[in-house]
Amino acid sequence: MFLGLSFVAVVIGLPLAAVFTEALRKGLGAYFTAISDEYALQAIKLTFLVAAISVPCNLVFGVAASWAVAKFEFLGKRLLVTFIDLPFSVAPVISGLVYVLLFGAHSILGEWLIENDIQIIFAVPGLVIATIFVTFPFVARELIPLMEEQGTEQEEAALLLGASGWQTFWKVTIPNIKWGLLYGVLLCNARAMGEFGAVSVVSGHIKGSTNTIPLHVEILYNDYNFVAAFAVASILTLLALVTLLLKRAVEIRTHENDK
Amino acid sequence: MAIHVKNIKKQFSDFTALDDVSLEVKSGELIALLGPSGSGKTTLLRIIAGLEFPDSGSVLLNGEETQDKDIKERHVGFVFQHYALFKHMTVFENVAFGLRVRPKKIRPSNIVIREKVMELLSLVHLDAFHDRYPSQLSGGQRQRIALARALAVEPRLLLLDEPFGALDAKVRKELRRWMRRLHDDIHITSIFVTHDQEEAMEVADRVVVMSNGKIEQVGTPEEVYQHPANAFVYDFLGNYNEFSGIKDSAGIVHLADFDSKQSKPIEGKPVKIFSRPHEIYITNKKEEGEFIEAVVEHMNPAGPLVKIELERKGGQLIQAEILKTIIKNLDVKNGDVLFLRPETMKVFE
Repeated sequence: MFLGLSFVAVVIGLPLAAVFTEALRKGLGAYFTAISDEYALQAIKLTFLVAAISVPCNLVFGVAASWAVAKFEFLGKRLLVTFIDLPFSVAPVISGLVYVLLFGAHSILGEWLIENDIQIIFAVPGLVIATIFVTFPFVARELIPLMEEQGTEQEEAALLLGASGWQTFWKVTIPNIKWGLLYGVLLCNARAMGEFGAVSVVSGHIKGSTNTIPLHVEILYNDYNFVAAFAVASILTLLALVTLLLKRAVEIRTHENDK
Repeated sequence: MAIHVKNIKKQFSDFTALDDVSLEVKSGELIALLGPSGSGKTTLLRIIAGLEFPDSGSVLLNGEETQDKDIKERHVGFVFQHYALFKHMTVFENVAFGLRVRPKKIRPSNIVIREKVMELLSLVHLDAFHDRYPSQLSGGQRQRIALARALAVEPRLLLLDEPFGALDAKVRKELRRWMRRLHDDIHITSIFVTHDQEEAMEVADRVVVMSNGKIEQVGTPEEVYQHPANAFVYDFLGNYNEFSGIKDSAGIVHLADFDSKQSKPIEGKPVKIFSRPHEIYITNKKEEGEFIEAVVEHMNPAGPLVKIELERKGGQLIQAEILKTIIKNLDVKNGDVLFLRPETMKVFE
């Protein structure tokens, strides 16, 4: 147990402490100047925007995919499950690169996009698409085992009692999966905000335009602006800590519900 | 509601669940679908409910074709083996569900819903539990709630899938007696699935015995028990002993006797003789007529009859259930050699 605790302390505790000490090295004043910098604020805004679009997308998509996989038998079900897992097994940088190749100026689609004046790569849509791809499995992976375990009897009972498909979904299916769903959304959100690799490739690092928090941290760090880098990084760290707390709260609730 | 099942076939990949099944149920009847697991009884029930669709054949409810009918339009109440209660709703809300999901035009008011639900809860003797959650109830109570929930929508037909299968023996007996009384009170056409022959015999007006996706026999409990249509039905309805026999040219059945070499071999057709353990006659002295010789292996005197296990030469085990007084008079002990003969027997060729 001692070994375990010291491992956690060294690998997770120390870096966590380091982020905040480095960020506050030159005092609170410098800290707030760093995070209220124009570009920093824009990075924060963009990160929230990307998460605000991609998380709901994956919420809807994740629920639909898990519903299909867990409650129905159909041809190509295994293929769908494999596709859901794909983002876990592909390196994020590669997935970013694929989107550049797909939508970039030199692709077939790219020419059409340029003609119609639609920009995806090196713009917000690219960031959103890359983030959706990377965070796609979180909700579905959380829900599929849960829904499979619950089976279809309660839904069948609802239909037999005269409920419509929609009523069955909202009154029976959703209440049964709500805690698992929230858990999946939290994980999905954490990843969406912290994603670096895929976003880095499609972003183009345009200051004040296509930089998310992780990308902004990298730029600051490469400019030897350590205090600012760590200050902005501390925002992400705080987000992670909040996520952990919420996650814990959800876990406690789920546990109570099972009793 | 009268049900007419016509030539239903249902295949699950390479498994034939139902193979050309036809069945007629009269309005107000209580029917048991009896058979081992994999016999197709649950599939038949689910097809009647509209939860499953036949590959061919049709189901007529009150003479109306159901093929294009939604589950809703069938007005079927369904009770699941594992209750399938909505665990995030109270008992009251579970029972009220079917009324609350109705379209606005035909949805009863809250007061009417309240009255109706409480009436049903008192019918299943659980009105005091209306604000509990399903997880706070015992299995027997949950199943009664499931039944109340199914009855709330005033179904014309009640289908029950192994309704007592998940309950312990005592609760099961109590609940099936209660179900019989309930049926006598409300007379709703009901079909229930079971693998327990005692349950089917005790509760149902008519029993449908199924195996391997086919109906083996349909009849009243008495008909099925006294006049089983074939060896499968006989086997399924209770413990039995099987003997080889020979039917001679005069149509008389003889026990094939490999125990005593003295008697002359009988010419004729080989047949199977079946006999229930309580239909075995025993004696400790060789008497006139055909007897089988066997050694007492084990005796279990618990219960009204003594259960004896005997081993015949050649290793065949025979079960007999004999009155305690007979055992006492004959002074039977383990290891004794006894002579036995089926008093009543069923012969299948």
